[in-house]
Amino acid sequence: MTVHFAGPRDANVAWDGTNLARAADFLPGGPPLDGLRGAAASVRGAPSTGWRVYRDPLGINKLFWARDPEGRLHFASRPRVLTAAGHRLADVAAVPCGTVVDITGTGRVARAGSVVPPGWYRDDPDGHAPGIEEIGARIRTTITRYLSALASELRPEEAYVCLSGGLDSSGIAAMAKAIFPSTVAVSFDLKRPGRNPSDDRVAAGRVARDLGIPMLDVSVTEDELLDHLDTVLVEGADWRDFNVHAGLVNAALAAGIAPAVGTRRALVLTGDLANEFLVDYEAETYRGTVYYRLPRLRPAALRSWLVRGLDTSNREVGVFRAFGLPVVQPYAAAVDHYLAIPEEFLTRADRKNALDRIVFGSLIPEHVYTRKKVRAQVGSEEVGGVLAACLDRGIDQAWLRRRFGRLHGVEDDADLDRFVRAGRYRSAVPSPQED
Amino acid sequence: MDAAAVADRIEKFLREQFLVADDDPRFSRTVDLYEHGYVDSVGLVELLAFIDEEFAVEVPEEALLSPEFSTIDGIAGVVAALT
Repeated sequence: MTVHFAGPRDANVAWDGTNLARAADFLPGGPPLDGLRGAAASVRGAPSTGWRVYRDPLGINKLFWARDPEGRLHFASRPRVLTAAGHRLADVAAVPCGTVVDITGTGRVARAGSVVPPGWYRDDPDGHAPGIEEIGARIRTTITRYLSALASELRPEEAYVCLSGGLDSSGIAAMAKAIFPSTVAVSFDLKRPGRNPSDDRVAAGRVARDLGIPMLDVSVTEDELLDHLDTVLVEGADWRDFNVHAGLVNAALAAGIAPAVGTRRALVLTGDLANEFLVDYEAETYRGTVYYRLPRLRPAALRSWLVRGLDTSNREVGVFRAFGLPVVQPYAAAVDHYLAIPEEFLTRADRKNALDRIVFGSLIPEHVYTRKKVRAQVGSEEVGGVLAACLDRGIDQAWLRRRFGRLHGVEDDADLDRFVRAGRYRSAVPSPQED
Repeated sequence: MDAAAVADRIEKFLREQFLVADDDPRFSRTVDLYEHGYVDSVGLVELLAFIDEEFAVEVPEEALLSPEFSTIDGIAGVVAALT
């Protein structure tokens, strides 16, 4: 019995509430891993010891597998690695989010269990949920400790914070400034001849100035942006427009950060995941057509769907990894506290503002709390954005789907529907034997 | 609950939620809902939430990806077997 892992490994930045998980923790016979939060995926072991397979509870790090006719298991962090090795996409599955599998050296699954807390996706809190003030305080403490663990254990010389000037990224930038020895803000913008800088660029610059951190401006033309399409489709492991558009922004940011980093140890931090945790997404309209449509669900059910959908979101980890940059989404460390927020609070229009005033308080400038939200992939009305840049060139959902299929050797389009359905990958516990 | 009763409620939900006309000649309990555009990936999430709330059933992934889970009758059969 053999187990193979091919292709790049994403950085494991999960922690147990005190320390970052170490490589040894993922070895067969290691700790149960049920308390880890943050991104991690691992396949470790040898024929003499057996193997342990792990994927974090949110599914932030990706892990795919396929079985060959001899029963050997092949793992990779991108489906493309497996299809390039000759496996059909129809035969590739994801390791389910929050799964630990122990496989013996003889090829028997000795243990397969879920480490997703049973209460995470329950809509009806048990009545003992803390109040929002307490939840906010816990989020602040958790993120502060997590960032401190990253700083002390990974010792990055620089932390690059992707800064839009909105609440989520400004909060991370403010905390990073206090914890990391050197923090740099990074701002994305599309170059448009004769146009002013985007609202995001202006807002990010103001926040960076107020926080006293330098800012790296990443401004790209539409051509430069769209040069990253194949990278985003492959490394993002998805073709759906909302993920691809955000992935393009990240690819441009990563391409701007990588040369600035050079050979120094660096971490990229983002403000992602707060939108999923607080159900802060909306559909967008461009030229009369609605994009990024959301299911019509109650707020708590929508939160569950958005958070479970992180299974198929590799637009940060995958895309930054393609440029050699480890990326961290600090809000992931506080997932338990976010999911304890009652549905009633999620119905409030000012929910993020109200919570972030508790979490960040005066750490971030007041003008951030009063700014209207602008999505980088949509842009402001005057400037347009990635969505418009793609659609104006005919790069719509159907185009992205076809291109993804071609990049993964898919001949039957139905294979794509069976690869991602209802926002999640087809998944299965890896086993040398068929069920 | 028998499959016919489940199919009644699923059909009613789909007609209301996705604005299927009463006189739509293509719509039936055996039509492929995805192939014919009655339900897209976002709509599927709404359907799953409806099934969860209406029948207290969480559809397992293998059933979700099965060929049966593409028609009203097929979905009803899956749900009835789970109740």
